Formats: sequence, structure tokens, C-alpha cells
Amino acid sequence: MASFMLPPVVSYACSCGLINPITKLYFCRHCLQLRCGFCVCHEVDSHFCSSCLENIPSSEAKLKKNRCNNCFNCPSCQHTLSARATTVVVPKKVDDPEKGDGDDKEKDKVITRKMYYLSCLACRWTTRDVGIPDQTVASGAWPECEYANQTRLNAIMEYYQSVVLQEKQEKQDLWKRKTPKKHKYFSLTDRTGLTVSMIRRQMGWADKAPPKPKAITPSEASEEVDELPESIFTEPVNLKNITTIKQRHSQPADQPETVDNLFPQRKSLWIKRSLRCRQCEHNIIKPEYHPTSIKYRIQLFASYHVPEVRLVKCEQPLKAGVANFVILNFANPTMHDMVVKIIELPSEDEEALLIEEFRRGFEKQTSLTSTPSLTSALSRQTSLNEEPRFVDKRTTAKLEYPNVPFTVNHRDDSAEFDEDTQIQQEEPPFVIWRKSNKVSVKLGFTPDPDLASNDEVVVGFSMQYNYVNTVINTADRSEPQKHTLHARVYVKVGNITSESA
Amino acid sequence: MDNSVKIMPKAIVCEESVLRGDITISPGCIIHTSATIIAECGPIILGENCIVEEYATIINKNASEEAEAGGNALIIGTNNVFEVGCHVQAKKIGENNIFECKSYVSPAVSVSSGCVIGAGCRLLAAQTLPEHTVIYSKNCLQRDAMEKQSQALQIESLRKILPNYHHLKKATFDAKKIRGQV
Ligand SMILES: [Zn+2]
Ligand SMILES: [Zn+2]
Ligand SMILES: [Zn+2]
Ligand SMILES: [Zn+2]
Repeated sequence: MASFMLPPVVSYACSCGLINPITKLYFCRHCLQLRCGFCVCHEVDSHFCSSCLENIPSSEAKLKKNRCNNCFNCPSCQHTLSARATTVVVPKKVDDPEKGDGDDKEKDKVITRKMYYLSCLACRWTTRDVGIPDQTVASGAWPECEYANQTRLNAIMEYYQSVVLQEKQEKQDLWKRKTPKKHKYFSLTDRTGLTVSMIRRQMGWADKAPPKPKAITPSEASEEVDELPESIFTEPVNLKNITTIKQRHSQPADQPETVDNLFPQRKSLWIKRSLRCRQCEHNIIKPEYHPTSIKYRIQLFASYHVPEVRLVKCEQPLKAGVANFVILNFANPTMHDMVVKIIELPSEDEEALLIEEFRRGFEKQTSLTSTPSLTSALSRQTSLNEEPRFVDKRTTAKLEYPNVPFTVNHRDDSAEFDEDTQIQQEEPPFVIWRKSNKVSVKLGFTPDPDLASNDEVVVGFSMQYNYVNTVINTADRSEPQKHTLHARVYVKVGNITSESA
Repeated sequence: MDNSVKIMPKAIVCEESVLRGDITISPGCIIHTSATIIAECGPIILGENCIVEEYATIINKNASEEAEAGGNALIIGTNNVFEVGCHVQAKKIGENNIFECKSYVSPAVSVSSGCVIGAGCRLLAAQTLPEHTVIYSKNCLQRDAMEKQSQALQIESLRKILPNYHHLKKATFDAKKIRGQV
């Protein structure tokens, strides 16, 4: 995790051939493959407001243009506005003057009322700055801004919605005509070739066609632009009164030019996203539904399933063509012991085979789910599969592959506190350190002789590890399945030391 | 540097604050622990009801040439707030200003009144901030404030709470005594 924000030292090749650090990879338990962000479907799970953490159903979110009803952003600096309360003194109305004849004090009595205004804690902008009156309730009562183009935009939107509806209908009709419905039971209309709409027409009923879209007057571009006001040439510009580009863009409906037209903007909603493997369409990441929860229901991050490789140390200086040593650390994140073997990277032909396999896997899946009802239900997003490719990272050193497997113990959170009672087992000579679920190995390598100074030295290997699948895929197997998997790992061990140094 | 710190009565100055040089702390001021005030190039006069929070640093760095013109004292007006970790070396400070957390004001800057230097903002170039200027965001954007900033409530509660939990420096200057001598 040390590489989370930094440029990655150790990267893994995704099944599609893209290079990523392990923190950005997922592991599909069903395909037993690494998946990167391009190999998964991104789906919107739920909408919520990041400020009030209210969950908003997607239909409602659409209706509200993906904005929260109660929370506002500062139009000046885009932070969240907070409601501030003030007490105002309002003279009390004397309802019944006759009743209180004795006490004159009663007439002077005032009541204090709580009034609210919105204020930004970052730039100290307030709704009072632009003359929005204080409200009696903290949220929900803020005036809505009216924009000049609103009616026009609504008309255009309505028009295009009906156009879409019409096109959909036409497509459906075409589909119906092309592929006659194959029902279990033949209906009369099937045998006679009559359609419902034909019968309706014959009976003199109106066809159930959707209403034709109402024509709108198209906008016309004109070359005539208002002249610049005279004052722009004569008066000095006061930058404090002019909005910045960011402020204008955050208020797209009217894009004010001066700061006195800034208006609190409803906060945009955030989403919770779930990821789905594009090959098997199983969920890989599924967050918990509630916005306040940061947990997952399904979380197949690669770092929970694939051994993590870390660069511990590389002997310096690195010189082209001179043998060197690198110490790598392997950590087992799973609850089962792993046998890891460091072997050679696949050759070009083998890589081509891998790519072929990746393609086939996808094709098989599409043929399985090609029935229209299934695909429309499962893949809301058109399944664009990432084109597999050759790994775009060349190793620039020859690693000595030990070709001897070594065991990495399973993760045991309590082992950290145990006394070190490791039974000395038969270790391969390259294993130099071992503690709980971590093993360090020392490997020899030789940087390519043709490297210039400051060139990157990259060692690469294929990590063969056995993985115990605890999820039971098929009903007939009750035992956890053992698999032997491979991951292509590339480690940037350093740069060739420059000659002058 | 002579340590002649004048603390007026009713000022609350925590024992652990660092005060060096010729400093005058007016009534109603609140100086938190580990706040630093250094009168390096001339005296510092802190106006009434100022709050200097933890790790705030105020240093008088007024250049000597101005000393001839009219004293190199750093005169700080009333009702200023120096928030946690701010570093202020301004030439002149008016009234009702707020220096937010981790802000920095260089010796070339004069601050007028009602200004807010936003959290983390760094003011370096020579300038005089016009009244009611708000500096905010990492690009030090400027805007005009309409609202008056007030910290009366904060002062009130600090005045109640601080003496309960901290050792205070005693007032070293008694106006009545002086009057008696005259
Ligand atoms: Zn991928
Ligand atoms: Zn909200
Ligand atoms: Zn703001
Ligand atoms: Zn899958």
C-alpha cells in the first residue's frame, strides 16, 4: 500500500495486458483473472448527497437533475454552505389592546425570532452578500433562481424526449416485423399474419402510435453581437466584482459576469459505484447500500487475493551488464498457505496465446447471453470489452529464475503477537527471511549490457501461485477448489548509475 | 533585546506564551499558550480584544528606514484574531481582521481593517489590503466581504474558560498607579 499515491515500483499485468499497481487491480473469483478498471463494467449503484448523506433514489435524482434538495455549494469558492442562525428582534403585535389596560410594559414586549442565512466557512461568502433575505427555516425554503433560457430549454428537452420515444417505437416495430414471436401457443394473429395494429385499423379504431413530436422553432445563429459598452475602455476593472471562469462554470444556467449575481448552487449528488466483471458478469465490487457506510458487500480487490510483491532492496550501483542482487518481499493476503514459484515471463508466442484465450473467454460469454432479454437485463452498459494487448513494459535485465517453489504462510492477524516459534523448515537457499505471512527472497539479475546511464532497470517474472477458491461455483463441488494461477509482475529496481557519479 | 512586556489589566496572557521585546498588550486581549510574539525590529502594540491562538506567531520586522519616518512600531488595532499556526509579520494591522490557520503575511504587507486572510494563504508581495478584503483558496483569490466579522462570543467564552485551565501572567501595568504618580 506504500505505493498508493506514488508512482508504482511494482506493477502487475492485467489479463488484458495493461500495467497497473496492485492497488488498482481487481481479482475476479469466477474467472480467476486479474481485472483492471477497463475490464470491468462501472455501474451506478445509488445516488447520495455527500453533505447530508441522504440517499436519493435514481429516479428522483434524475428528476432533480442530480442535485440535493437541501445542500448548497458556495458560488464563490464551491465549498459547502452551512446554515447560520441569527436572532432578530421583532416587535410583538398587540392583539387585544383592551385586555392589557393596566400593563403598558406588555406593549413594548418584543419577541426574538431565529432567522437563518447561508454562509461559507472557507471564503466567508453569505447569502446576505447578494441580498437574499434570511429565512425562517434552516433548509428547504431557499428561493429558486429563474433563468431566462429555462422555458426554451424545457421545450427543447421535451421535444427530444418525444423524438427518442418515437425512434424507440419505430425500432421495436421493425424488430417485431423481422422476427415473428415464437410463442408456445399460437395465437390467432400469428396464424393469420394479422397484427394488433392492423386489427385496430380494420375496426376503425385509432392506431396506438405515439404522439408526433411537436415541432419547435430551431434556433438561428446570428452574426450580430452587442457592442461592448463604452465604459469597458474607460473605467478601471475591479477584479473583485468580476466572476472567475470557475465561478461562471459552476453556475452554468446563467453564467454571471459580476459577483452580485452569484447564487447558491444546489450540491451535486455523488454515486456509489459497483463493478462487474465484463467476462462473467459477476459483481467484483459492490458497496453497502447506505451512504454512511464505507464498507463493501463484495470486495474483490486484487490485494486481498494475489500475493503482494514489494521491492525491499537492490544492491547499488546498478551497472549495465554487471550482475546484481535484488531482495523482493512476498506477502500472502489470503487465509491459506500459498506455494509461490518464480518463473520466466511468457514468450511472445505464449503471450499471443493468452490474448487469444482472453478473446475466446469473452466470445463464449456473449454467445451465452445473446438472448435479448438477458443482455438487456444484465448489462445496462453496452459491454465494450477491453481489447487485449501485449504488455507494454519490457524488462531490461535478465533475472535468474530459481524455478524452485517456496511456501508463503497464510495471513494470521494474531501471529504478530505470538512469540517467534517458527519451526525451521527446509528452505530453498534464496529465501533469506520469513515472518508470519511474509517471505523475502534474494534473486540475482544482470542489467542488459546495452543500457545507457540513467536508464530504468526493470526485472520481470511470472509469479505462479496456488489459490484456494472458497466460493463454491458449482453445486456438485463442496470442497474448496485449488487453482494454480499466474501473474506477470514487473519490478522497477532502479536506474543505471551515471558514469560521472 | 530588552524584555519589557506590558500587560494591561483584564488581558488574559497564558504563562506558556513566548513574549520577547517591547510588547504592549491592551485590556481584553487573549494570548493562548505557545503563541509567540517577538518585537524584533521595534515595539509591538496589541490593541484591545485581540485573540492570539496557539502556535500563532507575530513578529515585528519593520525595516529601519521607516523607523526614521515615524517609528518602527507594529501597531495592531482592536478585535483582531490570529488563528492557530498563523505567521504574521505585517507592517501595519488595522481592526477586525482575521488571520486564519497557517496563513502567512510578509513584512511588505499592510493590512487595513475588516480583512480575512484565509487558511493557508500566503501574502508575499508588497501591498496594502483594502478594507473588507477576503483572501481565500490556495490561489489567494480576493473578494469583498459585506458581512462584518465578529468574534465577541468567542472572546466571552475564552475569558471564562482559559483561567480555569491555564496559569496566567499577571498584569504588569496598572493605569491607576501611573495616574497616581502623575
Ligand atoms: Zn484489464
Ligand atoms: Zn444534501
Ligand atoms: Zn465560499
Ligand atoms: Zn469474471
